[in-house]
Amino acid sequence: MNLYSYILRRLLYVIPVLLGVCFLIFIIFNVVAPDPAYLLLGRHATIEQIATLHRELGIDRPFWEQYLAVVKTAFTFDFGYSWSSKQQIWEMIKAGAGPSLSITVPLFVITNTIAISIALLVSFYRGKFIDKAVLLISIAMMSISSLAYILFGQYFFAYKLGLFEISGYEPGFPHFIPYVILPIILYVAISWGPDTRFYRSVILDEVYQDYVRTARAKGVGELSIMFKHVLKNAMIPILTYVIIQIPFLILGLLLAEAFFSIPGLGGITIKAINTSDFPVIKAMTILSAVGFIIFGVITDVLYTVVDPRMRLK
Amino acid sequence: MKMRNILLVMTMVITTLLTGCAKKQDASERVLNIVSPAEIKGFDPIMADDLYSGREIGKIYEGLLAYHWLKVPYELVPNLAEAMPEVSKDGITYTFKLRKGVVFQDDAAFPNGKGREVEASDFVYSIKRLADSKSQANGWWILDGKLKGLNEWRDKNEKLPVTNYAEEVEGLRAVDKYTLEFKLAKPFPQFLYALAMGFTSVVSKEVVEKYGKEFINHPVGTGPYILPKFDQGKRITYTKNPTFREKFYPSDASPELKGLLGDAGKRLPLVDKIVVHVMVESQPAWLKFNKGELDYYSIPKDNFASAIKNNTLAPDLSAKGINLIIAPQLDLTYTGFNFDNKLFHNVKLRRAMALAFDEAKSNELFYNNTSFSAQGPVPPGIAGNIKDYKNPYKGPNLEAAKKMLAEAGYPDGKGLPEILYDIPDSTTSRQSGEFFQKQMEQIGIKIKISASPWPEFQAKLKKRGGQMFGLAWGADYPDAENFLQLFYGPNSSPGSNSTNYNNPEFNKQFEAAVMMQDSPARTAAYEKLNKFLAEEVVVIFNMHRQAYTLQQGWLKNYHNSDLSHDSYQYLDLDTAKKEEMLKKF
Repeated sequence: MNLYSYILRRLLYVIPVLLGVCFLIFIIFNVVAPDPAYLLLGRHATIEQIATLHRELGIDRPFWEQYLAVVKTAFTFDFGYSWSSKQQIWEMIKAGAGPSLSITVPLFVITNTIAISIALLVSFYRGKFIDKAVLLISIAMMSISSLAYILFGQYFFAYKLGLFEISGYEPGFPHFIPYVILPIILYVAISWGPDTRFYRSVILDEVYQDYVRTARAKGVGELSIMFKHVLKNAMIPILTYVIIQIPFLILGLLLAEAFFSIPGLGGITIKAINTSDFPVIKAMTILSAVGFIIFGVITDVLYTVVDPRMRLK
Repeated sequence: MKMRNILLVMTMVITTLLTGCAKKQDASERVLNIVSPAEIKGFDPIMADDLYSGREIGKIYEGLLAYHWLKVPYELVPNLAEAMPEVSKDGITYTFKLRKGVVFQDDAAFPNGKGREVEASDFVYSIKRLADSKSQANGWWILDGKLKGLNEWRDKNEKLPVTNYAEEVEGLRAVDKYTLEFKLAKPFPQFLYALAMGFTSVVSKEVVEKYGKEFINHPVGTGPYILPKFDQGKRITYTKNPTFREKFYPSDASPELKGLLGDAGKRLPLVDKIVVHVMVESQPAWLKFNKGELDYYSIPKDNFASAIKNNTLAPDLSAKGINLIIAPQLDLTYTGFNFDNKLFHNVKLRRAMALAFDEAKSNELFYNNTSFSAQGPVPPGIAGNIKDYKNPYKGPNLEAAKKMLAEAGYPDGKGLPEILYDIPDSTTSRQSGEFFQKQMEQIGIKIKISASPWPEFQAKLKKRGGQMFGLAWGADYPDAENFLQLFYGPNSSPGSNSTNYNNPEFNKQFEAAVMMQDSPARTAAYEKLNKFLAEEVVVIFNMHRQAYTLQQGWLKNYHNSDLSHDSYQYLDLDTAKKEEMLKKF
């Protein structure tokens, strides 16, 4: 199939997926989420004020009308204003994306580089001491909760040793750098274990393939086998794993943003959930769903690049 | 280069990079660093109904009156008003003269960006905006039914597509450029407190109209600090308002605050900049305070045991020059009965439950033994609280509780149905709910806990659902009326009386008391009502909490004042002392 028609066809899948996402968030908001009026109007709210606010927010309209409004938002990307902060949601996203990405992008690059490198190394020495040691350390580090890393990191590295800022954020490059180093280091420590184990198992799947044995029999060097043959053939699961992380980078890290007072999109989403700020919840969910689909298509296209045997259907 | 040398160089580079990651504090800057433990809703005065948003509003906006910074108990003083108002003999008409030459902060909404002078008509506009149903103001309750013609204006305009601000209201009039007149619907001496609350701060019509919905993020007031735009971030930086009027640090104080007169007569505000760090998690804020990066901080629950030993400050904190300030809060925590449920009309049942409750244990478990036992609704520090009064129905007295329960018709709880106890869904509320459950179990009363998210919990109370519930009330203003009204029949849910207690005798006495001007007779009337509610056990009165705040040794003029939301202009830093003291951190 032609690449462009494949992309077009996959992108058309966005329509049913978005309709489903709209239905889900609509149901969750109307069934599970608490009434936002009580939060917005405070402890002295009267029944009349609550009714007026319901009218203004449109949550007294028939369900089908409300659902259509959600669908309209999903397809026009006109997210409107936040119910609680009264800011334009696009402005909130623009303001929050920078701080979130200033942590998640370096974290993504560093963690994946470290994890793939270690996975290659331990696969090379599979079964040896270094392989077992890495496996043991990664399992031990995975068993500790991320909150424990944050609390320890803030107390020991930032407070006791004074190496980093305890918390806070200043927008703009390079002002944000002192504030993001500690969360990045801590999250690399949190994430390298599971990533390394995944990449190791993917690479080990390849290491035992016939073509590797053939290459060895032909006298190809081990380094060349690992980088030129094994890594290249392991690229499909690696690509899937790596690229699918990208749309979620923008959503930030919920816990890190709360503990390090970083004004990112993770915090904005949590605040929206806590205040039943439906327009913001809607915007973040729709954007994640669209991002997920788009990067899914990108992954598929990249498969054909890394493995010419693959065909788009 | 050998491997060892490469490693050495790498270690040096990493160490240099890392040590450069923590910024050094510049102690010479007059910057006040404080924490907001909750997100800030925004900067629209009519919406700021929570403590933290109210504190931010107070840096930018001002009203006619304020609380004297150095007087306890609270005392109202003129702020944008030139003097306290002239009040007519019948207590109905309040006439204010405005301070001349007060200007709004510069903003693009004004011609040439220069803030114009505040006039009486600006107050008329601001208060109508509070009343306008289209504004959805959280603070409307403070004037609901209080000013002649204002409710009628609100109702009439609710039906119109655009609110008619030009239409006159009898009770709210700009007599001339600098004279403002209020006419009350009936005498209500607490009205003056409303004029010291953030809700009634003056805003400019031009600014409101220019920013529309986003006015909440574009604060433009007359106050000591400016904030060009609020971006809902985690760091709010205020700078001195260059057009702030001449205002000076007070020269008189109550005896207990005389020590804070060092800056008497100095022009306000005292610090150049205020940085508010929005930190919802207490652990990083606690570490930041301990590092000298915050100027004061309330001790978090989890750090209390390490910071306070035998009600005094831990030696490691004292060694850094940190001071402990303990201040009672004007609040009440209570366990309420829903009087819509006939079961609770039995006063002996209510008394039995109150007698079974181990309040001292509750204080130890949930408040680190820092709270006062509440004998009735009115907290200490307000006229109406009865010093040394002991409520005869305070627990734990299991024997008396069992006896009372039998007299109520339920010996050992027999015949009494299981009682539903509603709480907001949080760890502490759950723990405290389970504690209450166990306490009642001791006399044979079965309690079933129902936890719901805060809005649902609130909705249940507003809809008069449920049987019992746990709640707290913080004072809006320093008057016993603000606590007694919690049990006034006409205020029943969806009003602030969540218990739906409606006793004609109490209602009558309450109505008479709140009309009285501040006087010994009014205090006596309040005390009588306080005692009446205490012995009726309208709720199980639990605690009046205290704030435990730590203050850095270099911070000047600080004291705990819940209701003064404009306090920051009085605070100052001793920069030389800070530089010296930071060496110990």
